[in-house]
Amino acid sequence: MKKALVAALGVAALVAIALVGGRAAAAPAAKTDTAITGTGSSFVFPLVSKWIPEVAKAYGINLTYSPTGSGAGIAGVTARTVDFGASDAPLSADQLAACKGCVVIPWALSATSIPYNVPGLSGRLRLDGPTLASIYLGKITSWNAPAIKKLNPRLDLPSLKITPVFRSDSSGTTYNFTEYLSSVSGEFKSKVGNNTSVNFPTGVGARGSSGVAGVVSKTEGALTYVDVAYSLTNHFTFAAVKNRAGGYALPGLRGIKQAVSKLPKKVTALSQLKIVDPPKGAGKQAYPISTFTYVIAPTNTKSAGDVRKLVYWAVTQGQKFGPPLFFEPLPVTVQAFAYREIKKIQGV
Amino acid sequence: MSAVAEKVDAFDITRRSNGLQRRRVTEKLVAGLGVVSAGLAVAILALVLGTVLFKGLSALDTDFFTQPRPLFGGEGGIADALVGSALIVGMCVVFAVPMAVLVAIYMAEYASPRVATFLRVVLDVLNGVPAIVVGIFVFGVLVVGHGQSALFGALALAILMLPMVARATQEVLEVIPRSLREASLALGVTKWKTTTSIVLPAAVGGILTGVVIAVARVAGETAPLLFTSSIAANQVSTDVFHALPTLPVAIFTFADSADPADQARGWAAALVLIVFVLVTNVLAKLLSRGRTGR
Amino acid sequence: MSTVDDTAAHGAGLAAAGLERRGLRLGDTLFRGVAVAAAAASTFLLGWIAFKVLDLAWPSIEHFGLSFVWTEAWDPVTEQFGALTFVYGTALTSLIALVIAVPVSIGIALFLTEIAPRRLAAPIATLVELLAAIPSVVLGLWGILVFGPWVAQHLEPFLQDHFGFLPIFSGSPSQAGILPAALVLTIMIVPITSAICRELFLRVPRDLTDGALALGSTRWEAIRGVTLTYAAPGIAAAVLLGLGRAFGEAIAVTQVIGGGNSINVSWFATGDTLASRIASQYQGATSQLQAGSILYLAAILMAISLVTNVAAQLIVRRFEKARRAA
Repeated sequence: MKKALVAALGVAALVAIALVGGRAAAAPAAKTDTAITGTGSSFVFPLVSKWIPEVAKAYGINLTYSPTGSGAGIAGVTARTVDFGASDAPLSADQLAACKGCVVIPWALSATSIPYNVPGLSGRLRLDGPTLASIYLGKITSWNAPAIKKLNPRLDLPSLKITPVFRSDSSGTTYNFTEYLSSVSGEFKSKVGNNTSVNFPTGVGARGSSGVAGVVSKTEGALTYVDVAYSLTNHFTFAAVKNRAGGYALPGLRGIKQAVSKLPKKVTALSQLKIVDPPKGAGKQAYPISTFTYVIAPTNTKSAGDVRKLVYWAVTQGQKFGPPLFFEPLPVTVQAFAYREIKKIQGV
Repeated sequence: MSAVAEKVDAFDITRRSNGLQRRRVTEKLVAGLGVVSAGLAVAILALVLGTVLFKGLSALDTDFFTQPRPLFGGEGGIADALVGSALIVGMCVVFAVPMAVLVAIYMAEYASPRVATFLRVVLDVLNGVPAIVVGIFVFGVLVVGHGQSALFGALALAILMLPMVARATQEVLEVIPRSLREASLALGVTKWKTTTSIVLPAAVGGILTGVVIAVARVAGETAPLLFTSSIAANQVSTDVFHALPTLPVAIFTFADSADPADQARGWAAALVLIVFVLVTNVLAKLLSRGRTGR
Repeated sequence: MSTVDDTAAHGAGLAAAGLERRGLRLGDTLFRGVAVAAAAASTFLLGWIAFKVLDLAWPSIEHFGLSFVWTEAWDPVTEQFGALTFVYGTALTSLIALVIAVPVSIGIALFLTEIAPRRLAAPIATLVELLAAIPSVVLGLWGILVFGPWVAQHLEPFLQDHFGFLPIFSGSPSQAGILPAALVLTIMIVPITSAICRELFLRVPRDLTDGALALGSTRWEAIRGVTLTYAAPGIAAAVLLGLGRAFGEAIAVTQVIGGGNSINVSWFATGDTLASRIASQYQGATSQLQAGSILYLAAILMAISLVTNVAAQLIVRRFEKARRAA
């Protein structure tokens, strides 16, 4: 009796799997020959998601990408558990050496927005670097603190507790945000510093861009730093951040474009791609927390050839999928730099 | 007579004795505590299951079961995760059960009492290794340099399943009367034939129960899969040499999202997982009841 | 039974042929060999896991030594790492969970064995077992989306209003922190410990409790004097097993604990446990030292789990020995 029961269940399960698998496989899924896997930055995930079906159409490459954080992208490609890594933070000399023959290529450009959850405000919040640094240092704890009131004289700020939310996983967005805060606040630089993973003295940690966005949506008084695509898709209001020219900039395409307007005519090294806290001459709308995001490609693996195709497509055709998600197309100088780096990926 | 009876009645020991009254009150208090505890446990179960049911039902539709997980900002379901979970758990059973049964046979039939005790300790310790450590172990030994795959995920789950099934099998084997084995051996049947043709068939029911319980436990494990089979394409695939999406990891990812549609998918996926776990538990109970004829 | 007859006849037939005897011995040896190999492989697997964890942790063990265990630090920028925050988090969440779970579990077990009518006891026992069957990721989902907000909006303000003079209830309510994590762990431990306690109480010989009742004790006194005393070692083992489960839980905890880096007196503050920190940071470790430090945390976790596990087993073994002697 019991054996019949088990057998019946087993058959039922197999039939169910076959039905599900069959029906789903019948849906247009790209049946392709080459499959490459990448992981890392959740910052670039919205754009890469748009690329996946396109790359399948263009080259027959079945691309799999999972947002696990820039740190995991660097670690993954170093350990060769994936074919390429994606990171918003460039590699340090040690990390580059550990990766053994990897090239780091900028393949997208966007900004880190500062969304907040403060109900009942009649306008957009304005913040500046030193205030943000104080919030994340735990020195400003309430939304109606004098420093915030000074920047927002026309807003009726509630006496709500500020909950700064940060990335608990190793994140390139953290790198970008802390790079900005370190350049505008000496205290932040010495107390916390600039890295993909730092010791924030206060606040709540969450995993991934989704995670921090999730906490902000559920917690009144929370604010965080996250790729502007996540703010857009989740209909968050983000703050206008003061730049060196004295203007309050938004992380839109214009803001990002002005932020990169002061790049050298010929880009020869990654260190020249630092665009946080741009100089006064960049423009009144230059958004101060913009960043390039990079793909880390090994030059000597079996899949290097396919990765090379992917990266080439990304920095050329792929850029046109960016603007709806607030990814500004790469400036020509950076594209040229990317081409030179792509040539180094020879493949086995 | 009646005067004495009246006097006896008037002397009601329970009313006069404070000690007994206090003791009776304490007893009622403790009974109350017991009822409250049980009520609390049932209430929390109802709360969790009720929330999963209520929030999950609204997201269940045919698309949910036939579409793969969505890319950023898109529509989708959990079809790929269902197929992946089924394959990985299936492979896990294939990896773990034969070895677990063999270990149990060794402990019950061949090993000396000292060795059997030692192995029991080894299995219990193995059972106590946190799932996350098992995940890191398989990651460090297999995934580094080779990449993730559903096979590695199944191996990690098999490490978790091994001690559960081995101990369950060993206990079942010990319950089988010695006389069965002795009769067979006395008739000239070899030891190994005795074990495989006589003892094991008698134990099959118990072993099956143990396997089903272990499957229910292992199907919901997330930590080992996070490191071995989490970077998977958003399409239904049966390629076990690459990472496949799984139900627990999908729930884990949906839980973090700010998108209400993703959260709804998370609840629905949790509902599917809970239904599976409950059904398997009920199945195990039916099997064991059938066996002991209760 | 027919199987025995068939095999017996077959065996008898084969036994007659002396040539076959060697073949049969070969079958025996092979089978025994395979069984031995399986047992040896299981032991080897355990050893390999322990070795691999220590091996991967070595860069950090070498660098920080034993003082890592009591250093409160976790700064990837300056490469300062220490386990104290997470040892504290693990200890505190597990202890809170135990303090709540043990009386509740004993209460449930007593209810099921002594108070409830038999027809009610079986379904309620099943329901409590079902609580154990809920996967931790589902509890974590419920924790993030339902329980955490409830704790922040109702439980923590309530505790602060009535007991706010205690430093553990100071600070601002938060939906991610030590308290929600500890409560989720409680929900996980209760089914396990109550099931074990129920088994223990059912095994107490009826005549002992009957004797106590006959001597005039109330039901509770009989339970306290006889059942609980008799089952005390078993309860201790159940507590240790629940503790082991709480230590190792990574997924549900990491979803509701908030990833804090420092030790805080307040239970409302964020924190982290050993298992949860490993889950959230291992894949993203960007330096050898950070990866090694996370594995060092795993080694500490394994050591703690091992100690509780072995302690539980020793208690059970001594308990059984005493029982057999009696």
